[in-house]
Formats: sequence, structure tokens, C-alpha cells
Amino acid sequence: MFDSYESFQGGVFHASVPEGRAGASIYLTHSEIVAKTQPEGEQTFSIRLSECQLDLGGASGRMLFCRTPDRSLTIFCEEKGFAQALHQDAMGTLSEQLSNLCMTQRRSENQFRFWVMASAVLLVVLCVGGYYGVLAASRAAVHALPISVDEKIGTIAMQSMDLEEPLDEEHPANQLVAGIVDRLKPHAAIREMDFNVVVVESDEVNAFALPGGEIVVYTGLIEQAESAEQIAGVIAHEMSHATLRHGLQSVSQSLGIIAAIQIMIGDVGGLLALGSELAQESILTGYSRGAETEADLEGARMLHAAHIDPKSMAEFFELLKEQQGDIPGVIAWISTHPQHAQRIENIINYEKTLPKVEYHLLDLDLSAAQQALK
Amino acid sequence: MDVEIRNRPSFANMLVSLDPDDSIIAEADAMASMSADVQMSTRWNGGMMRAIARRILGGESLFVNEFTAESAGEVVLTQPFPGDIVCLELKGNTMYLQPGAFIACEPGVTLGVGWAGVRSFISGEGLFRLKVSGHGRIWFGAYGAIFTREVEGEYIVDTGHLVAYEPTVAIRVGLAGGIFSSFFSGEGVITRVKGQGKIYMQSRSFGGLAAWTNAHL
Ligand SMILES: [Zn+2]
Repeated sequence: MFDSYESFQGGVFHASVPEGRAGASIYLTHSEIVAKTQPEGEQTFSIRLSECQLDLGGASGRMLFCRTPDRSLTIFCEEKGFAQALHQDAMGTLSEQLSNLCMTQRRSENQFRFWVMASAVLLVVLCVGGYYGVLAASRAAVHALPISVDEKIGTIAMQSMDLEEPLDEEHPANQLVAGIVDRLKPHAAIREMDFNVVVVESDEVNAFALPGGEIVVYTGLIEQAESAEQIAGVIAHEMSHATLRHGLQSVSQSLGIIAAIQIMIGDVGGLLALGSELAQESILTGYSRGAETEADLEGARMLHAAHIDPKSMAEFFELLKEQQGDIPGVIAWISTHPQHAQRIENIINYEKTLPKVEYHLLDLDLSAAQQALK
Repeated sequence: MDVEIRNRPSFANMLVSLDPDDSIIAEADAMASMSADVQMSTRWNGGMMRAIARRILGGESLFVNEFTAESAGEVVLTQPFPGDIVCLELKGNTMYLQPGAFIACEPGVTLGVGWAGVRSFISGEGLFRLKVSGHGRIWFGAYGAIFTREVEGEYIVDTGHLVAYEPTVAIRVGLAGGIFSSFFSGEGVITRVKGQGKIYMQSRSFGGLAAWTNAHL
């Protein structure tokens, strides 16, 4: 007669079963819940619907337990249709118990969902907080490191850059740039930094500073400049990158964040290699916008302290902006130094806040240098 | 097929005596030694996709080995860490095993991977668990001794000590005490087992070993 009823897979707990439990096929009749242990027909158990006590639980939270009042027999089933079938076949006998269980389950699921959401939000807050914490910490840590660290990184970067042979020290272009650096050096934020400048032959209008104070100026920049003060503006900006230790900062930030990720998720050996590569690249492809603004203002401060008009830096940016389309080489410095209009404005505004001093023109011969380069 | 679990509880291993045409399915690296005339065939741990899921999610091997004796022979199976091994007979019921616990089963047993849920993950018991069901004996191992408990109502187990449990019990994460005492008593997060059913626990935990090793490095 059981064949005419739907069957479900579940199990029973009863003292007469070896080990006290077994898997079972479960059937519903109009008055009973029947369980036959497997293999088929070994033992049959039943609970009258009228005295059945229901409970919900199990590893999935969706297992329905049916017990006799003395709890000596338990029939359990996890199948989806079972509760539904129980609701229909019990003709209302168990409906109240079922709906109570449903409500309790829904409440606990909602509660759980709330905690999961709350934890997720907390995790995001911790991650974001941790990220900025790492940035701030690496910033502070960088300033505590000796300059020899900057110099080492600079040397490695220089070697990996594959530059043209630098111009002879006696070359007028080299003399010009060295003169500018000499003039600015006493006003650098880090007195101990040993600035060294080389001029490299290239049509690119470009200059960059490596960590530790190695400055590279391309001949294209000297050729395109309208005055020695404009070159001084670019050099002051680049020296500021070195004294503000932006190179080391981007290295340490990438490494710091990678270290933090490592602590959080454990072993990520491959990320470390990727991180140092990224860091090296950031020195060559330009710094963050914040770092550029910092270098502009610090450069302007140095120029002002050296009695060179900081507006010459803005002037040079203006020149680059105008010539952007005409000279292919201009692209180099522009690509690493975007946001021209904003930066020109920032420099001019900043200059106005500085105490009035008398600006002197540089006693250096730009046209001689330009002539020698032709 | 006769199976003797030897050297219990510390260095338990299984001596499986296969009668003609008997076979046993074992975790890929469980075999320690075997008779020369026992056939070993390696196959996906229940179909390729399921095997991959079990490997990635449940921490079990990609492959299982099936040992079959044409005449008769023996196989010695073991586990990688010191501890006990227990045998359990499934009679149509289901058991959940923690990742890495499974050693061997008879051919009538089905191996599957089950989602253990976020709660289980938070309590450090993993996001997935091995689901064994069907008919036949299974053998699983633990780190240290194995002890069992028939839970009726609620029971508390320290994280990392739960090895196997029946689907009739709920696994919930909880704090050992208040937030403060939980983190300073060294108990921290615990596992609350609720419902009716049998649980298997191990007397040592890998987390405990790792912490002890760290402290002595
Ligand atoms: Zn810059």
C-alpha cells in the first residue's frame, strides 16, 4: 500500500536499530509518518500524526525532525517536498507547528543575514582603513629611512634605464645645468642629498630625478627652453621629487600594500615580484597627481629661496602646452606630467603667498649651450 | 573483505585483506604497501568535474585509487599525520567529513562535496565538507585520538577538533565567553553543535600544532 504514496529519503533514530540510526525511506499515510530502513523492508517505524512533534534543524538548517512524545523515535528528512506533503496529508493536524517553525526559521535567517551584512561592512571598513593606514605608515617609514636607501634604488634604476652616453662635463650644456643645480642646491629640503646631474643626448623634451638625487636632463629640453630660468624651473621640480622621496614612497607603498595582503591572505609569493616591478615602473612613468603637485610647490619654494622667479616654471609648462602638437619630443614630459592648466594656476597662486623678494636672472649662457648642441 | 586497524591510536593504519573480487576505494596517497598481485586503478574521484570540485573546495585528492584482488591480497592504507582511524558503516544514511579526513570506503559509498556554509567557514571548519552516503563501510582518520559523542541538545567543541558529524546536527560558530574573555583565554572561537546526532572529534588540532610550532620557532 505504501507504493501509492510519495516517498522521501531520510533516516530514523531508534534504539532498536544497530548504532541507533539508519537511513530510511519515508512515506506519509493519512494518519501516520512511516519510515522503512534501508535496504528495503528491514525495519518499519511509524509516528501518529496526531502526536507528532516537529522540529527544524540539522547541518543545513532545513532538516525536519518528527518525534514521538517520549522522544524514543525520531524520523528525519531534509527533502524539499516533505514539509509540503506533511502540511497537505496531515489535514491541518500539524499546520500550526509547521507555520511556527517556518516563522522561527525565517527570524533566525534574517538575524544571520543581518550579522553577515554587518560583518561584511566592518570588513570593508577595516580594509579601506587598513589601506590608508598602510599608505600613511609607509610615508612615515620612508622619512625615517637613511638617504643611502634612496641612492641604492636610484643606482639600480639608472643601470636598468639604458641611456645614451652623457655629454662631456666641459660641454656648455652640462655647464649650464650644473650651474643651475649649484644655485638651487643650498635651498633643497634635504641638505645631505648629493645632487648629480647628467645631460643626455635626445630629442625628447624630458628630465627626471631618480631617488637619491641623480638628475637626468635630455638635450631636447635645453634646446626648446626660452630661458635658463625655465630650465631651472623643471630642475627644481625634479629635485623636489628627490628630496620629497617620491620614488621610495611609491616603492614602499606598493610593497607595504603587498605585505598587508600577504598578512591577510597568507602566501602570495608571486605578488612580491609583481610589486617591485610595478614600483620601478612608477619611477619612470610618473608619480601620482598628489606627488606632482607637491613637487611643483616645493620646486617653487626652492626657486623663490634661490631668488629665481617661480613663474618661470609655470612659463615652461605654458610653452610645453602650446608646442604640444608641433614637437614630437614634448610628449615625453607631458605624458608623465598631465593637468597643465591646473598646475600653472597653482604655481602662480602659490608664488603670490610667498614673501616679496627681488628675483635675479641667472648668470648662465643658454644660447651658448643651445649653439653647442646644434 | 577483512579490515584490521592496527597500531591504534597514535599511528593507526589499515591492513585490508582482500578476498577474490573484493575492492576498496582509497584516497590517492593513502596506500603504504600492497601485495604484488593486487590491481590498482586510478580514477577521477567520482567524475572529472566532481573530482575537481572536491579537490578545490573540499581539500580532497583529485583521484582515488581502487584496489582489487583477482585472487587474494592485502593493502596497507594510512594517513599523513599521526592519529587514529575509525570505521563506520553507512546504512543509507549520510555523514559529513571535514576536509582531509577521508581515507577509504567500500564501493557502495558515494563521495560528494557539500556546501558547509558561511557559519562553518567563520568557525574555521571550512566552507565545504565531504559528504559520504550510501551503503558500506567508510574509514576516516584524525590527528590524535578520536572520540565520539551522541549529541542531544547542544554541545561545544573547540575549533579544529570536529572531524565528522551527522547531517542531523547543526554546526554554529560562537564565542567561548564574552568578547574579551574569548580572545584572552586562548579559546576564542568555538563550535556549537546543536540537535540530535553523533559527532566525531580529534584530540589534537592542526591549529594547535601550528600555534605551538610558531611559539617555538
Ligand atoms: Zn614631476
